[in-house]
Amino acid sequence: MRQAQAGDESAFAEIVRRYSPRVFAVASRFFRQRSLVEEAAQEVFLKAFTQLGSFEGRGSLEGWLTRIATNTCLNMLRGSKRRPELTVSDLSEDEDQWLEQRMSDTAQRSVENDLVAADLADRLLSVLSPEDQQALLMIDGEQASIKEVAAATGWSESKVKVRAFRARKKIREAMERLVSRKPVTT
Amino acid sequence: MNEKHITEVLDNTALTSLSASELEEIRAHASICDACESAFTAAQLSAVVIKERAQVVIEPSPFFQTRVMAALREQQAAESVPAFSRLWKSARALVSSMALTTVVLAALSFMISAPATTASDQTASAFSAESVILGQDGDDQLTYEQVLNAIYTDDEDK
Repeated sequence: MRQAQAGDESAFAEIVRRYSPRVFAVASRFFRQRSLVEEAAQEVFLKAFTQLGSFEGRGSLEGWLTRIATNTCLNMLRGSKRRPELTVSDLSEDEDQWLEQRMSDTAQRSVENDLVAADLADRLLSVLSPEDQQALLMIDGEQASIKEVAAATGWSESKVKVRAFRARKKIREAMERLVSRKPVTT
Repeated sequence: MNEKHITEVLDNTALTSLSASELEEIRAHASICDACESAFTAAQLSAVVIKERAQVVIEPSPFFQTRVMAALREQQAAESVPAFSRLWKSARALVSSMALTTVVLAALSFMISAPATTASDQTASAFSAESVILGQDGDDQLTYEQVLNAIYTDDEDK
């Protein structure tokens, strides 16, 4: 770390190699396309290199990079538009079918079905702000604690709770609307 | 909880974090309340899709490290160019005004050193002091002594 702070490129290359899986994992929460995840991760390491001097070593390097990654991805997403409301007509045929199977308890676990579920999640998440998406994915998706989310984002714990509550409520209501317009297959 | 709606409980905590007894109470209430039943179903579906979404993780490609290091070098190279361009930006106005002044001065000096001879100039030179007194063209070069001699000679003749 000290060598990297002194401007040693090979030492920084080792940091990139060691921590890129972690940075990619963070960026994957925000983006599904590989090109966007790579773009975000590259941006994270370029920022990290210029800010290496400000890293005082109080926390872990991984935690420091996670926070840079979270903020970088949030900034990239801030410009994007939020979907006002999700309707059944917005769903793809696969998503529609997945929902029907789930409601009739006939859904079978498969890689394809899991991907369809993830696509549906993206559609639902698109009604939320990037910050609320982040809180929900970490807490409900990755079982992270409020404290862990606060550390990764720099938000206060009460802010994390508020964001998670709001996100959960919005997602549930959006899903409820989708389900109520869909006839239950028995 | 049987009489109390459960939506707030559903929104407050992740379903996976609820205890077995809490879930049992939620189910008990949902069985007698249609609104809460649909809310519970939606919460369960949401939990499933969110969990699936969280499991989608893109792995870095083997060339990622090389790409980052190349981008870093490119950034460092780009940062050295702006140092010169910043200098140029601040000095550009001064350099431009100096160049413009030089051009204007050169043009003016050229025009003054080679004036166009006009008819009025020729008329004026015909009635110049030298032409009237000495009967010579103004262009002829006379020394001071020659001029004095010419004047005093004329006076003596008178």
